[in-house]
Amino acid sequence: MFSVKRKQFLIFFVPSLIVLAVTVIYPLVYSLIMSFTNASLKKQGFGEFIGLDNYIKAFKDTYFIDSGWNTIVFTVIVVTLEFLFGLAVALLLNRIKRGKKIFFTIIIVPMLITPVAVGLIWRLLLHPDLGIVNYLLGLIGVEGQAWLGDAKLAMMTVVLVDIWHQLPFMILLLLAGLVSLPGEPYEAATIDGAGRFQTFLHVTLPLMKETIVVAVLFRVITAIKTYDLIYVLTKGGPGTTTEVISYHIYKQAYTFLNTGYSSAMSYLLLIVIMLISTLFVRVSRGKPQPR
Amino acid sequence: MNAKQSVRLLNGLTYAALTGVALIFLLPILWIVRTSFTTKAVAYQIPPKWFVEPTLDNYRAIFSDNPFGRYFMNSMVVSLVSTFIAVILGAMAAYWIARRVKGGNFLRIAILGTQMLPPIVMVIPIFMMIKKLDLLDSWVALIVTYLSFSLPYMIWLLIGFFEGIPKDLDEACEIDGCTKMQAFTRVVLPLAAPGIMAAGILSFLMAWNEFLFALVLTGTGARTLPVAIANMETQQGVMIAQLCAATVIIILPVVFLSLFIQKYLVNGMTMGSVK
Repeated sequence: MFSVKRKQFLIFFVPSLIVLAVTVIYPLVYSLIMSFTNASLKKQGFGEFIGLDNYIKAFKDTYFIDSGWNTIVFTVIVVTLEFLFGLAVALLLNRIKRGKKIFFTIIIVPMLITPVAVGLIWRLLLHPDLGIVNYLLGLIGVEGQAWLGDAKLAMMTVVLVDIWHQLPFMILLLLAGLVSLPGEPYEAATIDGAGRFQTFLHVTLPLMKETIVVAVLFRVITAIKTYDLIYVLTKGGPGTTTEVISYHIYKQAYTFLNTGYSSAMSYLLLIVIMLISTLFVRVSRGKPQPR
Repeated sequence: MNAKQSVRLLNGLTYAALTGVALIFLLPILWIVRTSFTTKAVAYQIPPKWFVEPTLDNYRAIFSDNPFGRYFMNSMVVSLVSTFIAVILGAMAAYWIARRVKGGNFLRIAILGTQMLPPIVMVIPIFMMIKKLDLLDSWVALIVTYLSFSLPYMIWLLIGFFEGIPKDLDEACEIDGCTKMQAFTRVVLPLAAPGIMAAGILSFLMAWNEFLFALVLTGTGARTLPVAIANMETQQGVMIAQLCAATVIIILPVVFLSLFIQKYLVNGMTMGSVK
């Protein structure tokens, strides 16, 4: 009846395949079909087929374009700053021997915290009247700010909170790269009389190239998907100054109930992320590394 | 200044800088922990009272005034069950792929690709599906939904672990007459146990922290902790001290569990893409 190999396939892989078909493939196809219709949570079923109208609408929709722009600004700033600070801290950690483990253990804690909790912690600390941050600033003579309520400051504040949350991740990745660097090139550099900065520029950076590209791309992908933090910190406000794309799509679907249109927008987001992911897979060679 | 002095100075600066960084990460958390033990009045005080007599009232309050105990239970059940299913199915699938499917194959790339999917793309169709099945606000809805990310994540991580175990070992067992399943359960699984444990913890944490699906798919019945604390604030104005207590409760298991898997964190959180 069944060959041994076929049987193994059935027993080992098919159960997962069924679960993935139901939880991943079916929703993706469903969403794709919905994106070509005027489906709405207000009515039953799929709605009518309207071709590419939703996609054309998205490119003309200034709110959607603004949210895309906000996402780009947010992503570029957080990833750049997290990379620079992350590299600095990783280099410092890599220099020391005593106390390394304690520093490491403390430094990685924020990245483990539930994103919603991170948002709440900082909402409390940054509260204009009751928060400790404005109080401490007052002690050194700096006037307190409405960090999340001021349209000019809100994006910067969200960026800073995200850095607090995600910097540990960057440190962790870059430190892992630094630790696994070979020793010989450094010996050669020392013999050649290279200074610290020269060694960093001409030995460390080139050797770290792959780790850096992977870490940055990985963070770009996760930053574009940011949702929880925005929900808790600002709900996209004030106005739409911090409304990133995921939040905008959520609003379209659950406040305005336009599921067809929001599916189309989510597919546009998906295409962008898949392009970046392809790059990521190329660089990391799509192969898991046994640890 | 001679070379030795300059090295000593550099070391001093390094430690000073690292201490600064550690404080930036630690103090906000400590402040929340401190506030969770203060009375309501003290929590609102600005300038703050630095030394407070600790009270457990806030913890008592969130569990009695709020159905917080139920939310905690929901989070626990959903995270544990989805992780358990993902571990079992994922381990089998990963073993099959590790032994039968070559690297660079489409199947492997597709599994990695699922990890890149933005949740917002999945949440709309999954919501429609669950609604049609009349399963909104149930454990089942969340457990099945969480498998959409935890199962591929588990498969991906475990492929790496299984490939680290020499093929010869299970092949030797098969030559001695055991089936593929016996080779898997008797030879490979025991060897991969620490890795599976770590992958399980990582997947548990992912489910424990998940917000968007839980927000959309649950009402008051199956609500999980992240949604509960996000709602607590909007519903009751700012009840600072209680909110801090709730925050401490949600992050405690995470920090505790992560202590056990420190050495797996890098690989676990980057899909093994950084050596």
